[in-house]
Amino acid sequence: MRVGLIPTITDPRTIAVDLDDTLNNFTETLQNGEFPYDAGDSLSEATFQQYLQRIRNGEPESDDLLSTGYNYCRFKIHLRCYQTARARPDGVEFMQWLKQNRWRVVICTKRDLRRANDCTKAWLKENDIPYDYLFMTANKIVFCKAWGIRHLIDDAPFSIVHGEQYDVRVYYPIMPAHASLPATNARGFQAFDDVKRWIQE
Amino acid sequence: MDPRVALLKEFSSGFVSDKAKVESEQFGFAYLDRLLSGGGTLEYGFLADTRLLHKYKIVDLTGHRMDELLAMHVMKECNVCRYFSADKNDVLCFNMDDKYRKGDSAITEEMSMALDALSACLMGLGCEPLTVVSGRGYHVWLRLAEPLENKLLYNFMVQAAARALLPLLVAGRDHRAIRFRFYPDVAVNDALSLRLFGSEHANTRVFSHVRTPEALLDEDDSWHYFERFVRNKTTATATFRSALDELLSPTLNPLTQG
Repeated sequence: MRVGLIPTITDPRTIAVDLDDTLNNFTETLQNGEFPYDAGDSLSEATFQQYLQRIRNGEPESDDLLSTGYNYCRFKIHLRCYQTARARPDGVEFMQWLKQNRWRVVICTKRDLRRANDCTKAWLKENDIPYDYLFMTANKIVFCKAWGIRHLIDDAPFSIVHGEQYDVRVYYPIMPAHASLPATNARGFQAFDDVKRWIQE
Repeated sequence: MDPRVALLKEFSSGFVSDKAKVESEQFGFAYLDRLLSGGGTLEYGFLADTRLLHKYKIVDLTGHRMDELLAMHVMKECNVCRYFSADKNDVLCFNMDDKYRKGDSAITEEMSMALDALSACLMGLGCEPLTVVSGRGYHVWLRLAEPLENKLLYNFMVQAAARALLPLLVAGRDHRAIRFRFYPDVAVNDALSLRLFGSEHANTRVFSHVRTPEALLDEDDSWHYFERFVRNKTTATATFRSALDELLSPTLNPLTQG
């Protein structure tokens, strides 16, 4: 297959924006939401409750198998969170401002869009969040570097720590988990109005 | 039209006509604009975990644009994956993969045993498969004379896969080493796509060589075999239904035995 070249010029008016815990309250929904047991999932209720606690703790699959009951259960719980999480009002306003000001907006998420595409698009539409492209990737810094995207809004510690190294300006909603991260040029914000100001500097 | 494209069109006539996933190592907004300039809308993109491999799910494709993508596929400019129809299909595929995370792409002994058993099972039922190398496993295709309900195809595949794993159990090997995914899958109707024959695997960059009981064919011979498969190896509906009845027979069914 032909190989692409990494652009040498970045587009100053393109921005990538994460979804979970950036534009919505995913973690709060996961921790406090109600997830009823479904006997149709071929799990005992006790196993389901044990899995739910592990999912809330953010535990990865410990088995070396690729597809397991735990992974499937985790996906279903996450899917429910994608559907029910609340959008940040200032995030919605910010996204609409981007569109009105002709920014190219890429929604950039770790979600498995092969299965979560429909609910993700429905959630964006319900919340009146405009965007141009929807991408999934585990490494948003590499994605932004490859596509010449200079601005990334993302809560992930990996992005916060490594953005500077790849000349990607990272902005993140300040959360307790970020307190222990090393100092970088990533900028934490309380309100999206801060980001609006920074990306125009 | 490239005769290989014509063959792929004939083979994939039952798939969703206006939707495809394109795998490419090209990326960037200029590339995306070119990819979509011939028609279609990007549903979503995907940057894989390894290398700069990108996948683009494109919808609203015209027939002409699908032909162009297939031409790019046979020229190895990208890989085209097609989506199975939600209700009925005239092809089915067992996607056999090594279930454990490993760094290499070697075919394991368990995989070979399971493939041999599956092939023998299908041939014994009068259903001649097309077996294609794919990564650490195989795609085993059947082509049917007419579209049949996905539920029938799925039941057939579950039963045949159970037979493929039997030799591993008997030999005391780890049957969990083989992951079967079934296309079409009744539980995941519109979400899974499968790479067509005639391409290079995105990770291993190995051509989708045809494997016969006798040999692994080179690229040219694989295309010749594929042509014979498309022209002459279609499974008749009566044969398929009879095979399914036999697979579901309680006396022969490993899924109902203690």
